[in-house]
Amino acid sequence: MNIFSDIEPFMLRAFAVAVVMGPLCALLGVFVTARRMAFFSDTIAHGALAGIALGFLLGFEDPTWPMVLFSLLVAAAILWLKEHTDLLTDTIMALLLSGSVAFGIIVLSMLKNKRGELHRYLFGDILSVGPDDVWLAVVLCAAIGAWLFTKLSPLALLTASEDLAHVCGVRTRWLNYAFVLVLTVVVSLSIRLLGIILVTSLVVIPPAAARNLARNLRQQIILSLIIGLFGGAAGTVASYHWDIPCGPAIVMACIAVFIVSLVASKLWLNKPAST
Amino acid sequence: MTHTTCSHSAADIAVSVRDLRVTLGGQAILRGVNLHLHRGQLVALIGPNGSGKTTLLRAIVGLQKPDSGDVRIFGESDLKKALPRVGYVPQRLALDRSFILSVREFLALRLRETQHWFWHRKRDTDDRLRAAMAELGAESLLDRPIAALSGGQLQRVLIVFALLKNPDLLLLDEPTAGVDSPGEESFYDLIGEVHRKHKLTVVLVSHDLSMVYRHASWVYALNGVVCCEGSPEHVMNADSLKEAYGLNVTPYQHHGHSHGPGGGIVQ
Repeated sequence: MNIFSDIEPFMLRAFAVAVVMGPLCALLGVFVTARRMAFFSDTIAHGALAGIALGFLLGFEDPTWPMVLFSLLVAAAILWLKEHTDLLTDTIMALLLSGSVAFGIIVLSMLKNKRGELHRYLFGDILSVGPDDVWLAVVLCAAIGAWLFTKLSPLALLTASEDLAHVCGVRTRWLNYAFVLVLTVVVSLSIRLLGIILVTSLVVIPPAAARNLARNLRQQIILSLIIGLFGGAAGTVASYHWDIPCGPAIVMACIAVFIVSLVASKLWLNKPAST
Repeated sequence: MTHTTCSHSAADIAVSVRDLRVTLGGQAILRGVNLHLHRGQLVALIGPNGSGKTTLLRAIVGLQKPDSGDVRIFGESDLKKALPRVGYVPQRLALDRSFILSVREFLALRLRETQHWFWHRKRDTDDRLRAAMAELGAESLLDRPIAALSGGQLQRVLIVFALLKNPDLLLLDEPTAGVDSPGEESFYDLIGEVHRKHKLTVVLVSHDLSMVYRHASWVYALNGVVCCEGSPEHVMNADSLKEAYGLNVTPYQHHGHSHGPGGGIVQ
C-alpha cells in the first residue's frame, strides 16, 4: 500500500516546503537569536505584506517576487537608517513594521477581489503552496544551506565579536550584508507556509529549544536543524489531519519541543541557567 | 614635549604611526599622533580616559578609519597583508548568553578549521588548543561556554586566541578591565611571561601605572597626541605625567614599585 496515494498533492507540496524551510530557518535562527536579530526578522516579515499588496496592485497573479523585493527594501531601509540617523534600532524597526502593515492593509482593502488574501498571508495557507514554490524552496535550501556551512566559521566569529572577526581577516561588512540578504529571502519565502505573523517563530523557537539542551555551538546547530525539521513535518501533518491552519500548527509543534527541552534541561541535564 | 630617542633602523620598527588623526562624533580624539614602536619591546600606552588609547589601537588594526595619517605594521601599509601577523585582544566581548560557543570552538575559529570542527574533531587541532590553553593555565576551561566565563578567564582565553597563529605583534586593550584587583598583578606577570617566551612585540593600553613601571620597556603617554615617551623611569617623572594627564600626579614608591594616586590607578 502506498501511503502517499491517499494524500492530496497540495499536502505533499506543503510538506516538502516545510521540511526544507524548517531546518533552514532553524539554522539561520541560531545566529539570528545570538545576534539579537529576532525583531529584525519580524520586521522584514511584516514588510512583506506591503510587497504582497503592491504585487496585487501591479497585477501580479503570484506576488512572490514583489514580496521578496519589498522585504529586501525594508531590510535595506533598516540598515541605512541605522547608519545615517541617531534613532534606536528598535524604533526604526517598529516604524517600518507598522508602516508596511498599514500600507499593505490599505492597499488590499482597496483591491476588492483580494480581500481574502490578507488572511492567507497573515496566517499562512498550505493550499497556496504551488509546485513552483516547492522547487524554489529546494533550490534555495541547497544554495543557502551550502553557503551557510562554508561560512560557519566566519559567521560564528562575527557573532562572537565583530572586531575580532575583522582582525582575523573576515570581511565583516560584506558578511553582515550577505547574512541579512539570506535571512530576508528565507523569511519572506516561508511566509506562504507560516504566515507573516508567525514566520519568525520558526527562526526563534528551534534554536531556543536547542539552546536548552546543547553544551556547545555544534550541538545547538545540529539540534536546531532536527527541531526545525520535526516542527515543519509535524505541523503540516497535524494541519492536514485536523484541518487546522498550517502556520500555527508548525509553531505549536515547535513550542511542544521547546517545553520538553526546557523541562529536560531543568530535570535531567542539571544544567544551571548560568552555564 | 619630552623625548628620549633611540636610533633604530627601519627593519626594527614593528608599528609606525605618522600624523594620525581621528574624529569621533565631531570630537577630535587623535590630533596628529606619531610613534614608532620597536620590535621585541613591551610598550605601554597610558593616558587619562578619552585620551585616545583605545582609538589608537583600533586605528592600528583598521577597526577605526582615520581622517588622515599613515599606519604601517612591520613596514606594510596593506592591512590585509599585515593582519595575519597581529594578535588583538579587545577590551571586552559583548557576548550574549544565548550564544553557547564553547571555548574549544571559539579557539578553533582562529585556526579556520570550523568545517572540520563541525563534522569531526581533529586530534592535532585539539592537541594544539590544549597546549595553548595549558600555557596560560586555563586548560580546564576548554569545554566551558565562552559567555559564562569570568572577566579574568575570558581575558586568558582571548590571549590564547590572539597567540594561536604565532603573531609577531600582540595588541592588548586594557587587558585587566574585567579582572578583579587581586588578579591584576598576576595577570600582568602572565603578559610579561608571554612577551618573553614568544619573543613578540607587545603593546598594551593601561591605566595601571605600577604595571607600567614593572613590566614595560617603553611607555607612551597619550592625550590626543603623544605627550611624552621613553623608558618607564623617564615617563613616570611628575612633569611628563602631568602633561599627559593634565593633572597633578605624584608617583610614590610602594613595595618597590611606583604608584599614582588611588592605589596606582589613574582614572
